[in-house]
Amino acid sequence: MGPMLIPNTRVCLQHFIPVLSRNILNGLHKYVPACFKLGGLSTFSTKDLNKHGVIKRKDFKSKDFVIKEKPAFPKSVFAAGTARRTAVLMKLKAGISDLEEPSDNSRKINYLEVPDRPLTASEWKRLKEDNERPDRFEIRMMGGIFKSSADINIAKSLLAYVAVDSGTVAYELLLRYLTLCVYGGHWAEMYDVYDIMKSRFRTLDTGAYSLLIKGFSKTERWEEALVLLENINKIITPSPRNYSDVIAGAVQHGNFATAWTQYNQLLEKDIIPNQDTWKYLFEAGIADHENDDKLLSILEHMRDNQIYPEVTLANIIRKWFECRPDQKWTGRISTVKPSGVCQSCRSLLESIQLTEEDYADLRDSVMKNVIEGKDVFKKTTPEELESFKHFVSKRPPFDVVIDGLNVAHSLGRVSQSQTLLAVVSELNQQGLSILVLGRKHMLFSTQSWNRHHMNQIQQKAHCFFTENISEDDPFLLYAALHSGNHCNFVSRDLMRDHKACLSSGRTRQLFFKWQRGHQLVLYNFVPGKKVRFRKIQSYDTIAQTSANTWHIPFDEEGTERSTYEVPQKWLCLTRLN
Amino acid sequence: MSMRFAKLSLLNELRQCCHSLPPRLVLKKRYLSPSANFASSLNHLQNPTRSLSTSWPKWKDVHQPKDEEKEKLDLDIWKSVMRSQVAEEETSRTSDDDTVQGEAREMSQDPPLEATREMVEMWRQAGKKVPEDITNEQLEIVADLTSKSAKKKYLKFLSIKEGYKKANKEKQEKKKMEWLAKKEEMSKEEGDDEEGSSKLKNTFILHYWQRSLDRLIGWQGAQAMRFGQPLVFDMSYEPQMTRREIENTINQLLETEGCNRRSVEPFHLHFCNLNPEGAYHKELLKRYSTEAWENLLITTSPQQHIDMFPREQLVYLTADSPNVLRTFDHNKVYIIGALVDRSNLPGVSLANAKRLKLTTARLPLDEHLHWECGTKNLSLDRIFRILMAVKETGSWMEALKFVPQRKHAGFYSAKKGSTDFKGAEGRDTIQANRELKNLFISKQRSKGRAEGKAPLQSPIINVLKSKGAARSDTQKARKNWWEE
Repeated sequence: MGPMLIPNTRVCLQHFIPVLSRNILNGLHKYVPACFKLGGLSTFSTKDLNKHGVIKRKDFKSKDFVIKEKPAFPKSVFAAGTARRTAVLMKLKAGISDLEEPSDNSRKINYLEVPDRPLTASEWKRLKEDNERPDRFEIRMMGGIFKSSADINIAKSLLAYVAVDSGTVAYELLLRYLTLCVYGGHWAEMYDVYDIMKSRFRTLDTGAYSLLIKGFSKTERWEEALVLLENINKIITPSPRNYSDVIAGAVQHGNFATAWTQYNQLLEKDIIPNQDTWKYLFEAGIADHENDDKLLSILEHMRDNQIYPEVTLANIIRKWFECRPDQKWTGRISTVKPSGVCQSCRSLLESIQLTEEDYADLRDSVMKNVIEGKDVFKKTTPEELESFKHFVSKRPPFDVVIDGLNVAHSLGRVSQSQTLLAVVSELNQQGLSILVLGRKHMLFSTQSWNRHHMNQIQQKAHCFFTENISEDDPFLLYAALHSGNHCNFVSRDLMRDHKACLSSGRTRQLFFKWQRGHQLVLYNFVPGKKVRFRKIQSYDTIAQTSANTWHIPFDEEGTERSTYEVPQKWLCLTRLN
Repeated sequence: MSMRFAKLSLLNELRQCCHSLPPRLVLKKRYLSPSANFASSLNHLQNPTRSLSTSWPKWKDVHQPKDEEKEKLDLDIWKSVMRSQVAEEETSRTSDDDTVQGEAREMSQDPPLEATREMVEMWRQAGKKVPEDITNEQLEIVADLTSKSAKKKYLKFLSIKEGYKKANKEKQEKKKMEWLAKKEEMSKEEGDDEEGSSKLKNTFILHYWQRSLDRLIGWQGAQAMRFGQPLVFDMSYEPQMTRREIENTINQLLETEGCNRRSVEPFHLHFCNLNPEGAYHKELLKRYSTEAWENLLITTSPQQHIDMFPREQLVYLTADSPNVLRTFDHNKVYIIGALVDRSNLPGVSLANAKRLKLTTARLPLDEHLHWECGTKNLSLDRIFRILMAVKETGSWMEALKFVPQRKHAGFYSAKKGSTDFKGAEGRDTIQANRELKNLFISKQRSKGRAEGKAPLQSPIINVLKSKGAARSDTQKARKNWWEE
């Protein structure tokens, strides 16, 4: 039990005590055996804490639960929510409490106190005169009425006052009033405002059109929303939300054909539909099963573009599957084992390994877009690239490529060469053929780059050092991709800048898939201990189908997923025969 | 016009009614009289408008003396007002027939632009940040932008610019008025004293004419073109930049050129890789007039810098360089990339230098400044000023004073005290001092150290020069304003 306990304690010290500097911890590490003999680390560490005396016991306790929450095995960096969790940890480490939210008082000031009943013109006038900032009083007041969702009659009385006082109502104020009507569901008023606006102004602005589309599609006059959409179309490209509103209107009034024509128009314009649109279409599908093929094509679309539905959409998809008349489907929420087996239906998911064809595609486009790019000189020089290609071709294919500088710097102040050496030795023990990439300055013996260590590294691995002003990541990608599908790489870098260099969406997805399957990330490395890496997933997180199943990964509620992360929950749909 | 009057009077009536409405009981009693007034006023004007008819229902409502009905009268009055305005507008539209026709002609000429104009106008009415006046050229740019947010951003930019321009204009106008008033006062006073003597002033200082200063500056420029140290601006980054970035670059280059022209010992400016058909050239011609551009004392060339100077003399200044420029070498030709990157483009100029296999260097910013707070980029004219200062004084401390203060947290050596000058710089200053002895003008400029030695030029010229420089500064500003 003892040895198990110690590293854990150390880990938690390192992570959850902001004040303890790394130096102390490292020092602590050296004395571990000694103090173990003396009877336990805990006394030692508390003493140490007391010496520093800055840490509040309360803080320490409150952070305790985080430790327990930690999974037994290190999760992949690409699992949803990891980035968020890391950010919180980092904040704790830096001593910033999570509760400190940026105060947005500045916005509140803009809104005025709203009267509780409709006022007469004279009362409004008095109110305006009393206000310290009478300019734009009406507009700010209208905003305030909207914000506080007060009675619409107050807004009406304000408009009446403005109309009588100035002889007209400005467009901006009308627009605010329209917002109020649309969000408050005052349809009759909305019609009136629309008529007035239409007759008073030759065209409306895009914001007004969007509001009206939203409003009209919820009423009996939903067909007018289509006309309005056409009007927007003349000025600018409509937003996905406009389409989603129109489609919602059509679906709610039972006109599924119109909904689908609008959806096709949206696709024609290369607009990315939002999830609400799909929600309405699937809801339509539940009521009417004529368009099942099209709905399946939406699922294909999700697969092709690596889109993950939100939990509400996932539920609707499940419902739609379950009420298909000709086939009997059942849906369950499930997770997937690390081996790639669905917990619910026991079927094996698609592997994360790329097919030969995809792999070749990816290799070529990385070479063309990432390494060479528009200007070879930006990241390297042609001579250097040529010599590297030569270097790679002369050596046997590598099993693992290490981004030397990235690995070396992953542990703050510890001698950088030492960290790198530890990782290289570990991989060397596993009998792998290793390539270490670095820059030439690593070879000049300095404090952080010990010559002795560097010599050892060079014995255990193939090494290539680029110019100090060249980037090393492109070389890493080149070497890893040219060694074949079995080759992994070690780096903490998420390579997002390189992914962005790729020209097409498809290659970007291929790159991401390859990255998820081949990137090794150091996990809580402590010098002198065994080097551990985070798990690499063996299955691909993407909507997928086989003869009798559909597996759709979806975003859970409450987890903040970064763009480079993939969800962990699955919707498992199986067909019963 | 009569129509408008009728409208106004009607509104006045309405306003009166509304103000007098609140007391419920009174309302009942009074109901007839305002209505009668109303009718009589209309009779009086004998010009009924359609607004009258639309507002009738409201008056009918008032017949019912119930609470809610009174409320309703209050609430929907704005609708009738707005509707009546539509009617009014229609009539006015028919009256201004020719202007409408003119507009229509314009519309038929360029319908897409007109649609954009309309959109911009509606955005303005909806309270978005949009300029009040917009030129056709700007509209074309708006129409070409693909996304809505890009359009909004550009329009916001224009509106902010317009705001500045307006404020500036107002200020100028105010100043002008003040000046005129002052002048008038002066002339009045003088007129009182003696007539006609205001033209000649009795002074012991020789009048220094603007013309003489211009000539002096011209000579200096010519001298620099003959003997001065070249400084190259590499104008080859046009494709990497957006239109706005190019405009910014030209702005900064103009500033640079002006600063160089007025300095004691100017650089010989070279604009290399300047494509005569490119956007840079077009913009330069637009900002300078063609005539001024032809007479400018700088060298422009479509050639590359490596074809104009021996390769070993060239040093490319780029922020990504691994080498630090510790001492300023008067025999080298420094190249500055004329590049403004609002979206960061790291390594672009370094790539260029690598391609041409040129020596690179960066300014010793990290060596001298605590640079934690601000963004680490400098405009072209700032870099020029730094180079100019280091050329004149030989001290980076002096030169880096031109780094905007908001960007850094002070000098390194300033903390230790001014006597302790060594550290990063010690060697450089000694060397620079040695160089100073060979350069009498530099000596004269570096006030602190060279003060003891007798200046070679008479101080009065210096005074005049600085005065002249200040004057030409203001003139330049004025010119800029007119140009804008």
